[in-house]
Amino acid sequence: MSMEDYDFLFKIVLIGNAGVGKTCLVRRFTQGLFPPGQGATIGVDFMIKTVEINGEKVKLQIWDTAGQERFRSITQSYYRSANALILTYDITCEESFRCLPEWLREIEQYASNKVITVLVGNKIDLADKREVSQQRAAEFSEAQDMYYLETSAKESDNVEKLFLDLACRLISEARQNTLVNNVSSPLPGEGKSISYLTCCNFN
Amino acid sequence: MAAATAPGPRGPGAEGGGSAASALSMERIQSLTDLADLEAAYSRLCEEEKVVQEELDALLEQQSTTESKMVALHRMGPNLQLIEGDAQQLAGMITFTCNLAENVSSKVRQLDLAKNRLYQAIQRADDILDLKFCMDGVQTALRNEDYEQAAAHIHRYLSLDKSVIELSRQGKEGGIIDANLKLLQEAEQRLKTIVTEKFDTAMKQGDLPQVERFFKIFPLLGLHEEGLSKFSEYLCKQVANKAEENLQLVMGTDMSDRRAAVIFADTLTLLFEGIARIVETHQPIVETYYGPGRLYTLIKHLQVECDRQVEKVVDKFIKERDYHRQFQQVQNSMMRSSSAEKIEPRELDPILTEVTLMNARSELYLRFIKRRIISDFEVGDSMASEEVKQEHQKYLDKLLNNCLLSRTMQELIGYYITMEEYFMRETVNKAVAMDSYEKGQLTSSMVDDVFYIVKKCIGRALSSSSIDCLCAMINHSTTELESDFREVLYNKLKQGFPATTFQDFQRGVTSAVNIMHSSLQQGKFDTKGIESTDEAKQSFLVTLNNVEVCSENIMTLKKTLESDCSKLLSQGFGGEQAQAKIDSCLSDMAAVSSKFRDLLQEGLSELNSTAIKPQVKPWINLFLSVSHNIEEEEFSDYEANDPWVQQFIVNLEQQMTEFKAGLSPVIYDTLTGLMTSLIAIELEKVLLKSTFSRLGGLQFDKELRSLIAYLTTVTTWTIRDKFARLSQMATILNLERVTEILDYWGPNSGPLTWRLTPAEVRQVLALRIDFRSEDIKRLRL
Repeated sequence: MSMEDYDFLFKIVLIGNAGVGKTCLVRRFTQGLFPPGQGATIGVDFMIKTVEINGEKVKLQIWDTAGQERFRSITQSYYRSANALILTYDITCEESFRCLPEWLREIEQYASNKVITVLVGNKIDLADKREVSQQRAAEFSEAQDMYYLETSAKESDNVEKLFLDLACRLISEARQNTLVNNVSSPLPGEGKSISYLTCCNFN
Repeated sequence: MAAATAPGPRGPGAEGGGSAASALSMERIQSLTDLADLEAAYSRLCEEEKVVQEELDALLEQQSTTESKMVALHRMGPNLQLIEGDAQQLAGMITFTCNLAENVSSKVRQLDLAKNRLYQAIQRADDILDLKFCMDGVQTALRNEDYEQAAAHIHRYLSLDKSVIELSRQGKEGGIIDANLKLLQEAEQRLKTIVTEKFDTAMKQGDLPQVERFFKIFPLLGLHEEGLSKFSEYLCKQVANKAEENLQLVMGTDMSDRRAAVIFADTLTLLFEGIARIVETHQPIVETYYGPGRLYTLIKHLQVECDRQVEKVVDKFIKERDYHRQFQQVQNSMMRSSSAEKIEPRELDPILTEVTLMNARSELYLRFIKRRIISDFEVGDSMASEEVKQEHQKYLDKLLNNCLLSRTMQELIGYYITMEEYFMRETVNKAVAMDSYEKGQLTSSMVDDVFYIVKKCIGRALSSSSIDCLCAMINHSTTELESDFREVLYNKLKQGFPATTFQDFQRGVTSAVNIMHSSLQQGKFDTKGIESTDEAKQSFLVTLNNVEVCSENIMTLKKTLESDCSKLLSQGFGGEQAQAKIDSCLSDMAAVSSKFRDLLQEGLSELNSTAIKPQVKPWINLFLSVSHNIEEEEFSDYEANDPWVQQFIVNLEQQMTEFKAGLSPVIYDTLTGLMTSLIAIELEKVLLKSTFSRLGGLQFDKELRSLIAYLTTVTTWTIRDKFARLSQMATILNLERVTEILDYWGPNSGPLTWRLTPAEVRQVLALRIDFRSEDIKRLRL
């Protein structure tokens, strides 16, 4: 991969229970599609989308992982090189929310300590079937010091925002990291020299 | 009408006509009074008369011919009447014929219609005859147990237009046909029952020819699905029997058998090969008698049995090989750091190999059925809509992804990855612990060992044919190399290169701290400590070499894996994303190579600042003790007994010999590069602290030239650039007068690029004791 065609490269890994809509979120963002009747993901899937943020090209490598238990050892191997993790649950499924602490333990164990984790409650289009209140999730994410967002891959609600906000945060994080200039562990996302601009205003 | 044109006999009428025709009217003549005029009129009249006379003569001459013509005409009169009559008759006839023709053509059209209807009637009659024939034939055939014939009749009956049957019931013999039809329907039912029964019997007896015989009959009776499902049932039974047999054989296998270690993989292979052979053998029959697009149904049924058998084999495997317990133990070992209960990685080796082999066989088998079904669908779907094609693709994906075989293998591979990761990490730890260094070698054993292990583990993952499994192991290897192994080397470098002189004490303290620190981090490694300085030195240099080789090995490993993977992908394994996934994982791995390179740079600058600088600096400082404020006598004396540079060169050479022997050529080269930079900087410092006479300047120039000449021989880099400032200083120190600098400065500099600022030039000029400071100040630079 050549360095010329982008300013930043970030790896984003989506994790969470099976059937919470990880693949649909990725498809919606990368292809603008909502494929109904999506089969379970096998192993990991891989998509690339390049976005422009404040004039800078940001290449997002998005790894969509299988939620099923038997793929866990495959998906875990991707945590360490991830710049960001999108931990997804289904707002209409209490069980997927209750599993979050378990996922956080995995993150703790396998991911880099600099990783940015975003908590995403998906399927807000099914509001009448909601089982996890926004407040509960907000409290949980606050306690875990995570950014939190509710989305609908089906209605395309907050999907762009999720990925673009994340890209912004990754950029500013990458810049700070180079400013601190920690030689032993440079953040992998670095593509070019750094200026002091702070991003971002996306809504 | 003839009289009107024919010239009549001469008479007064004619006379009058003649006068009328004359140019002169009677009144005109009567009014004439003049003689001359009268004469003129007369002569004119005479002339006219003459002309008329001639005309009359000519007409009279024609009289006879005219008369004969008149006669002829008179004769033709009655004939013309005849012709008129005939013509009227003809017209009448034509009208009549025309009407007739029109009548005839409409009749022809009617005839055509009639003919078509006739044909249809014949077709119907044929169909009805066929129907009758079927009715009769099916009975006979059934009586004779000629089921193919009976089925052919039924097939004919089933493919008849339903209206035919309706029609035949409406006929005169409706009652009879109704009865016959009932018989036929009964015969159909009976045949269906018979065929099913006979098929079942044949199946029970394992009579393949009979099974195939009745299998071919089902589609004739419109029982495609049933036929395929029955036949599959038979085939599944075959598969099950064979599998049972094979599993019994496995249980009886001697542990010393050559294939004992992979016996379960072999059993799966036999199972898959058996099913593949069944598909190969029976695909033509299915295609011929059931049409294209039916293979999917057959395989779907077979897959159920395949899954059942796979489950048995895998259950046995898990039980016999203690797979789950081993996995559990690995997990425990990874969680707790106590070494007592750690499972010996070597024990895992055979089972890991067997699992990957099992998965490889499964992938091969799944790819086989995938290809077969796709090509079978393609034949049937050549004219089908996009929707149908997608539907079929969905069926296929569902079959492949949801079958128990896939899920079971995914589960086994899931465990495998964790165990393989453990195997790799533990074996690498061992290699590090058992690290040994042989004199004469640049690197120590652990580098080769570690890369052998990593290669082996990734290679094994690759041999599973599962792209996700491979990528996971590439990721784990990247982690292992980048974090764990790099850490080992990093800690070794952190112990530093022991300095031999007055820094010993200082370094000793730091490395003791480092050793303690790394012992805490690494557990059992490095606890023995470093006994002698020499050993510590060697260890440092070897580590530098190790780091370099690691960086290179990673790139080599990446390249090897790239070509191995492209081989796997070219065989059709992996999905559409496979290449991109592998590329991404491998590029992460390649990034580790540059991290090792960074580490090497760190180590080298550490070496430069702790080992080379403390030595070189005093040697350079000796320059200060050699006066460069000298006269002719001392200059000659220096010529005979070199006061500084020769010894400096000897010292350098001695020092570098140690490094040259202990470091790889590339690293050594980088190190000499660092050293020359250091010398240039340090020498500049002492230079600026010295004073020079004219001859002292010349002496320095000589010394500098010797030094550059020596350094050029030991480095492959061009060092002139590093010494450019010093050379320019030497030039300044060699000037006759202060103003001579202007011959080289500014517009006179020619090809020379000054590396010194004007202030620095003045500073160097001031080092010459014989230059007056006013002159220097006065210079315009």
